[in-house]
Amino acid sequence: MKVSGLQCFTLAAFMLLGALPYLVFTPYTIQLATIALMWVLMAQGLNVIQGETGYVSIAQAGFMGVGAYASVLLVQRHGFPVWGAMLMAPLAASMLAAIIGFPSLRVKGHYFAIVTLAYNLVIFITLSNAVSITGGEGGLSAIPRPESLELPYLGTVSFHNRINYYYLTFLTAALGYLGAWLISRSAFGRVLRAIRQNEPLAEAIGVNCRRYKLTAFVISATYAGVAGVLYAHMIGFINPTPFAPDASLNAILAVIVGGSGTVAGPAVGAFMATFLPEFLRVDESTRFIAYGLILIVATIYLPRGLVPAIAEGIAALSVRFRLSGSLTSRPN
Amino acid sequence: MSSRSTALALCSLAMLLGLATSVPTIAAEKILNVGYNDSLSGPGAVFGVPQQRAIQIAVDEVNGAGGIKVGADNYKINLITNDDKANPTEATNSVRKLIDRDNVKFLIGFCCSGPTSAVASFIGNEDVLMLVGTAAEKSITTRGNSNLFRNRPPGDFTGAAAGRFIASKGIKKLAVIGALDAALYNQYLAALRVEFEKLGGQIIATESAGLGDRDMTAQLTKIKGLNPDGLFVEIYVEQAAFIYRQANELGLKIPIFGFHGGSEEQFLRVLSSEQMEGVYDLRPTELTPAALGPGAAKFAESYKKRFGENPAPNTGYAYDGVYILKAAIEIADSVDVKKVTAAMASMNVPNDVVLKYLPVDGKLFDQNGQAYITNGAFQWRNGKWTFVSELPSDTKAYSDALSAARAIKNPIK
Amino acid sequence: MPSAAEILQQIVNGTVIGSVYVLIALGLTVIFGILGVAHFAHGSVAMFGGYLTFWISQKYGLSLYPAMILAIPFGAALGVILELFAYRPVRNAAPINAFIVALGLTMVVDRLNMLLFGPDQLVIRTPYNGVYEIGSIAVSELRIQVVVVTVVMLCLIGYLISHTSAGRAVRAVAQNPYAATLMGIDVNWISLLIFAVSSALGVVAGALIGALLALAPGVGENLVIKGFAILILGGLGSIPGAIIGGLTLGISEALAAGLLSSAYKDVIAFMIMIIVILLRPQGLLGRK
Repeated sequence: MKVSGLQCFTLAAFMLLGALPYLVFTPYTIQLATIALMWVLMAQGLNVIQGETGYVSIAQAGFMGVGAYASVLLVQRHGFPVWGAMLMAPLAASMLAAIIGFPSLRVKGHYFAIVTLAYNLVIFITLSNAVSITGGEGGLSAIPRPESLELPYLGTVSFHNRINYYYLTFLTAALGYLGAWLISRSAFGRVLRAIRQNEPLAEAIGVNCRRYKLTAFVISATYAGVAGVLYAHMIGFINPTPFAPDASLNAILAVIVGGSGTVAGPAVGAFMATFLPEFLRVDESTRFIAYGLILIVATIYLPRGLVPAIAEGIAALSVRFRLSGSLTSRPN
Repeated sequence: MSSRSTALALCSLAMLLGLATSVPTIAAEKILNVGYNDSLSGPGAVFGVPQQRAIQIAVDEVNGAGGIKVGADNYKINLITNDDKANPTEATNSVRKLIDRDNVKFLIGFCCSGPTSAVASFIGNEDVLMLVGTAAEKSITTRGNSNLFRNRPPGDFTGAAAGRFIASKGIKKLAVIGALDAALYNQYLAALRVEFEKLGGQIIATESAGLGDRDMTAQLTKIKGLNPDGLFVEIYVEQAAFIYRQANELGLKIPIFGFHGGSEEQFLRVLSSEQMEGVYDLRPTELTPAALGPGAAKFAESYKKRFGENPAPNTGYAYDGVYILKAAIEIADSVDVKKVTAAMASMNVPNDVVLKYLPVDGKLFDQNGQAYITNGAFQWRNGKWTFVSELPSDTKAYSDALSAARAIKNPIK
Repeated sequence: MPSAAEILQQIVNGTVIGSVYVLIALGLTVIFGILGVAHFAHGSVAMFGGYLTFWISQKYGLSLYPAMILAIPFGAALGVILELFAYRPVRNAAPINAFIVALGLTMVVDRLNMLLFGPDQLVIRTPYNGVYEIGSIAVSELRIQVVVVTVVMLCLIGYLISHTSAGRAVRAVAQNPYAATLMGIDVNWISLLIFAVSSALGVVAGALIGALLALAPGVGENLVIKGFAILILGGLGSIPGAIIGGLTLGISEALAAGLLSSAYKDVIAFMIMIIVILLRPQGLLGRK
């Protein structure tokens, strides 16, 4: 079986991340990696509606917020056990996406993007002003970690432990990644790509584009909801700020720069978006200027993103080596 | 193979050099990393930036005089600064970074209630000491954290006295506009309302505005239509300035009372002095060089010289914070967090502070980690905030009520 | 129940802020309508203009209007640079690419403003504090000036479009870009011109907002989103649509804040946008 360079890379990254807590000793880096994995979920989700279907959505952070608040409110107001809340809350994001997606996916291109931006803002403003429910600007605090689990071989796993929470997030992100990969490979994914390339044609062949687009949108929102749930129960405090449209732009950045045509691309983009600010400890304004420039340059010159460009680069180099190898090796 | 042994040799050399340079020198000068988290941009910057400057002055003074003496060592303070942008999520991230990445044990700053409350909700689990400045929301000291201290009295400590003052001015129908969604302002208003209504007053309108809003004409138009004989404004400085300006532009000519602090320069950037004439500010007396001792005057002088404008009233908390920390460390004769915390909980009012504290049972901080200063009424006259009178309040009674509130929140199981 | 006088006062307040919205929407609609570019960074350009006006007035001791006029050419230049280096390369790619470029530009210009002018809010002070009272309606000198300046700008733009050859060329491109090229009009120059004019309008809007309220990070983004809402309400490419849409939004916001709750004031713009896009995508006055 021929294994492509991209697949090798993905496998290596997976193993590295799986072993991360044993390679790195700063609690801060583990925290950062956990957040990066949440953003992998965000970016993978966004990729389904944006990369595959071609509809840019600026509402991803809004759905993350819906998932986060839903989970916290289920626990704090309705006494749900944390695991129960965490598993059910993303459905709130899914349902909201179905409701608002149904009429909105009629419009195309930048209209759709602007409408999703409006949705994110409405979500944000509602979260900020429905003080009696959401705590408004002040937010909700003292959010509990999920209850400890009794597992075979591992004994009692407490999620107050940073490393254990990292693995929870890692497993969830891995599942999400697998899901995105399966979608990409499936007939469903092929239809989505057909819609992106030529929607009128797809419609003409008899594809119910509306249903496919809506499903893709709901899937994206669900990923975001899951990310939101993981975020809320790790940080212990949420307020509307991380769910403002700025964060949605971050997700878009991750998908575009990482590469919207591949499954690995958004994941790479998510890690870059999370770790770059830590390495480039320049002041924030300069950092955002860099982001903006990267986004512009990437859109103009690398419209398919970084990962495909790098993959192509490696492929080109390896062809060169194979060619020269065959010239100098002994003929068989 | 030889390249590998070269690498090995180089590494060992590097390690030896590293070890050699890290051997402590005889001179016992050490660094004390202090985490400074504040709102340095966004709407809260009107409180955060003055705090930052005051802390800068205090730290330079302390370091210039040799640092903090602990045994034979002299610790120079090194501030690690983070901007929380007046946002609770940012504050949570920033404090996490200070604790996890920069390994600080002492935290100061905290001018704004929203972000500070968020941090207060988890700081009890951390092995640090947190000293809160201007943030006035009550629950910050009723959460039951034994490692959190605050030298600024909670909002409702002033609110009650303010209610009495407004009633004493003959106001019967009071309209209120403020950031009523913020717990801090809610608490102040609740205390104000109790006293105001006791003395026969009536609050006829409560309009809300956001902490970042600039256009309050809609709310003010509504208020104007109700014909109040007094207006009470409680919100951040810049927002209050816009409210005063817009009230003027709408022809609202009634006595105005506020709770916001702010220096003359901060207001004059938004509106003219004539538009402010007669406005009251009902708050803790904070930094009032005229009413305090020579220490305060000296601080105000250095601030004006270094930064070109008058210190905002809340700078007193920040300046004192540094000296309170210094005194606690010297009393504990150690930089161990637990010892310093114990020292801070039982210390008397230290010498180098500029504000006038009201000791509770002889100590600076009461059993909730809360310190108190007097309340005062200030009025804008001819371009300057002028101290009008003290607003009498009962510290002991308030402190007991605070303890009771804390006990309710944190019952001993 | 609010009195008639109170409602009238709210309408007057709303008209003033609506005028600024009209200026922003106008700048957006010419670019979106004629060139098909969703120039999201327009708000940041407007802020740049406002900040520059503030800086010029402080540094050279000029009052609001002279400073604003001096800032206009620089704002126009910024718009031209953005067209040339960011939008033009993606002109022939999928329209969504231009949108993403616009998002990137918003980040860049916003932060550039922060680096150049600082993160604190800046208020352009004016001496126009006098208040006129007509019955129980009060309006300040400055607010009256804002409406007057907007009307002047509208007349100027109208004159430019109908009475100059450049204006004729723009109308030609708006009607049919291919035919216009065949007639010898250089679409590249027209694009630059449109961006220049739009950015000039943005500078005026920025300066007025700076005098009326303040210039600060976030203000630009807020304005441009409302600008798009107005565009969608009034119809793409429709100048009367931008005018009516802008005033409608300003007044609705004021009335909603006065009669309902000020907290959800901003939501009005978005609800309008969502409802219009879903029910009548071409807007009130747009052509399909």
